[in-house]
Amino acid sequence: MKMHWILTSICLLLFASTLVGVASADLSESMSPVTGNVFVSSVTFYPEVFFTGDKGTATYVVMNSNTNTSVMLNHGTFSDDNFKLLSGTYDFSNTLGPLQTRPFTFSILADVPEGDYYPSFSLSFYNSNLYHKTLVQVDNTPLELTVVDKPDAFTQGKKKTITIQVANPRKNDVRNMILEVAGDGITASPSRTFVGDLASGAKIPVNFSVTPDKETPLALTLTYDNGDNPHTVTMNIPVTFGTDKKQADPVMSNVIVKNDGSVYHVTGDVNNAGLDTANTVTVTSLSPAVPQDPYKTYVVGALKADDFGSFEVTFTTDANSTSVPIQLSYRDSDGNIYNSVQNVNIPSTGITAQKSSGLPLVPIIAGLVIVAVFVGGWFVYIRKNKK
Amino acid sequence: MKESLINLLINTDTFFRNAMEEEENFTIPVLIVLAVGIISAAYGYLIGRLTSQMMSAVTPGIESIILISTILGAIIGTFVFWLIWAGVLYGFSAVFKGEGTFKRTLEFTGYGYLPQIIGSFITLAAAFEYLPEVKVPQISTAGIPTDQLGQVIQNAVSTMMHDPAMVELTQITVLITIVFLLWSANIWIFGIRHARKLSPRDGALCVGIPVIAYILYMIYNLGVS
Repeated sequence: MKMHWILTSICLLLFASTLVGVASADLSESMSPVTGNVFVSSVTFYPEVFFTGDKGTATYVVMNSNTNTSVMLNHGTFSDDNFKLLSGTYDFSNTLGPLQTRPFTFSILADVPEGDYYPSFSLSFYNSNLYHKTLVQVDNTPLELTVVDKPDAFTQGKKKTITIQVANPRKNDVRNMILEVAGDGITASPSRTFVGDLASGAKIPVNFSVTPDKETPLALTLTYDNGDNPHTVTMNIPVTFGTDKKQADPVMSNVIVKNDGSVYHVTGDVNNAGLDTANTVTVTSLSPAVPQDPYKTYVVGALKADDFGSFEVTFTTDANSTSVPIQLSYRDSDGNIYNSVQNVNIPSTGITAQKSSGLPLVPIIAGLVIVAVFVGGWFVYIRKNKK
Repeated sequence: MKESLINLLINTDTFFRNAMEEEENFTIPVLIVLAVGIISAAYGYLIGRLTSQMMSAVTPGIESIILISTILGAIIGTFVFWLIWAGVLYGFSAVFKGEGTFKRTLEFTGYGYLPQIIGSFITLAAAFEYLPEVKVPQISTAGIPTDQLGQVIQNAVSTMMHDPAMVELTQITVLITIVFLLWSANIWIFGIRHARKLSPRDGALCVGIPVIAYILYMIYNLGVS
């Protein structure tokens, strides 16, 4: 019996010593200075912030900061209850030399709702384990599309420019942004624009022009990559026809018509009563007038709002004309040509006026008097000879 | 022709009475008409130069054509008009039962051009004075559709003809022409009277009717142009 107790005690001691031995293998006093210098030096998630459903990678870089001791690495694993691991674990052994680093990359799927998550990375040494938890976020905030500038109204067949702004309210950069513009009966230029990358918190303007043939919604589609995952944001802009309240409105005034005996000269001012700039303003005369040198067409140039310029056009016209249409043309910033016509009365002086200003009485009377004298003289002569 | 041309101007009746005693001789009449034609050609040259200046942009090289046709047209036209005018007088005199050859009528009609040499000179002097002041419109074909070119040329010619200097020249020319045409008519009355053996009244009517009709036509044109 005594012997039995002694054997039992010895077994218990041996078991206890085994337990203590196992515990001391993890935290062995002799090895802890070595394994304590092996740590995760950096963690990289790509993309940095996931959308729900995004695939990506998590890369843990392990560093051995010991200066003269190698360590054996085993069984690198990524584990989380929410993120799905798409790739396998690192089951093989690797020796990590002094001052060396080794990355462990895992493909993961963020099949989780928005929120903050803390997946863990673990690594086994021959006599200890390494655990590392890092924050990774899932944020479904999309990019923002904002209309910065567009015309008040569109005109059928006239090209107009629209400026939008793409902003990135996310906490990470996005890549490969492409803007597509489409609509029924709309010609867009460019219809597809590569915008490029956009940093977190940054914004970028994008211009494009549209020429509508009918009223329709204009669909803007912005595609971009979060990591390698494509995403889309859309916006509709209504295209309605009407009068642009800001459009340039050149008006002729102070119009004076003169002639120098050979051609009519029409001078005046052109005032831009609109809000937009009128580009390449030109003035010319229309039929029945026939433009003549030196000012067949007068180029006034660009007129900003409230600005004015002078013009002069020269022309001839047929004798029956009492007024002549003067055409004023300009282009908007998109190159569309707008025309307006104003009739200018031809004054009662000048070429036509000379014709209609009355008979040249003096030479006519003089001619008649001469004829009368001649006839009278002969009448008297004949009567005298008769007698 | 023994008679002096001075007599033709101041003693016309005697001049033609004496001329009737001689054979028809066209030397002097032809020279008189030629002189009128040459002076008219000079006048035509001045006007043609303005026209060619205006048309040069439309048809390059047309200047010489215009000038040659103007000069030849003036000379030949004067002779042709002499023939026609003699024919008219001959025709009118036939109504009054005139007797005499057309040859004689043609000869005496040619003498009647003598005052017009003076009138043409004065007209030419006026043209030298006024034509440099006429502003000639330049026709440029650039940018003008072909179907509008005719209208452009017409407008340009009309513009030039209504230039103040040109209008004044036209009026002066008409008045001078009237005065010297009546002087010529005076000679033609005596001429046709002797050539066709008419009374003074018939001679005056023969010449007076067409001449005054022509003058009234010129005055009418002056008013409507």
